[in-house]
Amino acid sequence: MTKSINRRDFLKVAAVGAAAMGATQALQKAKASEDVESGPNQWVMVIDQSKCIGCGYCTLACQAHNDINPDIQWNRVLAAGEVDGKDIFLPRPCMQCAKAPCVEVCPVNASYYRPDGIVMMDYDRCIGCRYCEVACPYQARSFNWKTFDGTNPAVPKWGQPEVARRPRGVVEKCAFCYQRIDRGLALGLRPGGDADATPACVVACPTGARVFGDLNDPNSNVSKLLKQNVSYRLRDDLGTSPRVYYLPADAEKMEG
Amino acid sequence: MLKNLKTKLSSLKITPWTMWLGFLGLLLVAALIGGIAVFWNGLWITNLTDLVPWGLWITIDLSSIALSAGAFTLCAAVYLIGLRRYQPIARTATFVGLIGYTMAMLSLLLDIGRPDRFWHALVYWNEHSLLWEVTMCVVLYLTVLVFESMPIFAGFDWLKKRRPKLAAWMSHLHHYAPYLAIAGLFLSMLHQSSLGATYGVIKARPFWFKPEMSVLFMYSAIVGGISLTLFASMLSARLTSKARINDGLIERVSYFVAWALVGYLYFRFWDTLAQNYTYQPGRTEGLQLVTSGPLAFNFWFGEILLGTLVPMILLLTHATRRHPFWRMVALGLVVGGVVAYRWDTNISGLLMVISYLPGQPTVAYTSYRPSLIEFITGAGVIAYGLLAFSLGVKYLRVVDHRYAEEEETEKVAVKSVEHVVA
Repeated sequence: MTKSINRRDFLKVAAVGAAAMGATQALQKAKASEDVESGPNQWVMVIDQSKCIGCGYCTLACQAHNDINPDIQWNRVLAAGEVDGKDIFLPRPCMQCAKAPCVEVCPVNASYYRPDGIVMMDYDRCIGCRYCEVACPYQARSFNWKTFDGTNPAVPKWGQPEVARRPRGVVEKCAFCYQRIDRGLALGLRPGGDADATPACVVACPTGARVFGDLNDPNSNVSKLLKQNVSYRLRDDLGTSPRVYYLPADAEKMEG
Repeated sequence: MLKNLKTKLSSLKITPWTMWLGFLGLLLVAALIGGIAVFWNGLWITNLTDLVPWGLWITIDLSSIALSAGAFTLCAAVYLIGLRRYQPIARTATFVGLIGYTMAMLSLLLDIGRPDRFWHALVYWNEHSLLWEVTMCVVLYLTVLVFESMPIFAGFDWLKKRRPKLAAWMSHLHHYAPYLAIAGLFLSMLHQSSLGATYGVIKARPFWFKPEMSVLFMYSAIVGGISLTLFASMLSARLTSKARINDGLIERVSYFVAWALVGYLYFRFWDTLAQNYTYQPGRTEGLQLVTSGPLAFNFWFGEILLGTLVPMILLLTHATRRHPFWRMVALGLVVGGVVAYRWDTNISGLLMVISYLPGQPTVAYTSYRPSLIEFITGAGVIAYGLLAFSLGVKYLRVVDHRYAEEEETEKVAVKSVEHVVA
């Protein structure tokens, strides 16, 4: 015994619906880090593949300073073929993309951009849906499948934990050791210059293959390196605009 | 007390109905234990990995939502297009939808790492995320479904006796059916498509990355959702006298399903064929995985032959469509085809691991097989759906094609309906 809906009512409701749809469209502005007001610093990392010897110290320092579950690695060192018979490696932290797929897809805004370009995780907000893992082209994200309550084998040899352990059930990732940057800046240090204000992996690298600094500062090491050398970024074709640059391996510059 | 229970138990007769309930009860108890194990231990006891973080549960979630699409489609047909004679089928579909969406919620609750934070998407909005959009729409649409189902629950004898006023109010909500149908249409079209787009926008997975993903999800959901409603109605009518169907009505809707399948086949054909051209790392391997790799059987038999072609022919052919058995087979196959499509879609994009090393990306393969605990809990979610539907058929007359006509002629008055039910 329903009254049938007449055309006018239908149009009325449809118009409201269309308006709502328009509103959601308006809200769906592209979510790139350009939307976030850029701060005075834009942190980037430059990795010189001619210098990387694949020792994995960076990974160990990362595990210790960020107190990472041994099942998880934020920072991996991959074999990347050879040049002139010499093995080359590719260390892979989080790319801190300027147009990060993970930030785009997160249903709860647990991934977000900092004004300095770092892609951050809010571990208190993450619901553990793992959509970001699916969306990341660099496999830079790891899920906490298991509670990590044991001892960290990398501590104390490779450093002391500086951040809280992540709970089970959330996705975690590298954030350029933001805690070191922030504390360093507060102490008047210069990230990329002073070790205490620089990501642990950069400090730990025995060959100086990793360089960290501010792209907004034309005199920073990273700005100079990128000006003087040919560089590339991983999967640039995807349009993610990574903040990690690589200087391709040059056999002549390599030792051994 | 215990003695009382004993005598009560011994007086229970073993009937197919109690056996069915017992069987579902066993599945539910096993799933409950499994679910507690998952919440207690965390997701490491599943076979999900960082490379394949979405598996069986997501497939159940996607399938439940897709197969609930009969609700919005048929409600729109009845209340907006004005095909009033299908109202009793829409009624069943609404109930199926309510069950389907709660099933989806259950499997998602298992799947997310922090089920205690399930409400975050409602509070912390990322309007750009398709998963946020899906979550919001699903929650809102579930609300719509609850209101749409109120008149069904109003028919529950117990409620009518105990709370006649409440039952009358719930029954009265039927008057708002057209408005609810509009809301349902709007929300469903959004999230059914968005679920496809959830996959379709992921550039890191080239086999998913295509605009037609949302269209295909939406389309297959409509076909599969209607089919499930019809199938469940026919099956209920065969098994119990509590369910009464108008076979002619079901046949007509089945004929619509037949032609919808023709359209579906057309879309799938071009979707698959177009991807055959040029080599694109990831996409080409994905297609191979589906058409000649480990998923080939699922694809060719599950999705195309049994899921689309056979039911299409069975339902287009007058003789088999008229024949209740063959019609049921066809509708059941469509449902299976949609589930196979959801499984294949999810897993095909995840099984390929595309390198990010410089140069042309190379593609490696990983594997995934659901663990026992995933099967047990997944079966429990399905058992819950079957139980809810069975109870609905028995106590709420959710499959009763005489219902609307009676309501129509008796001019409601909740009390008089009580006599009809009795």
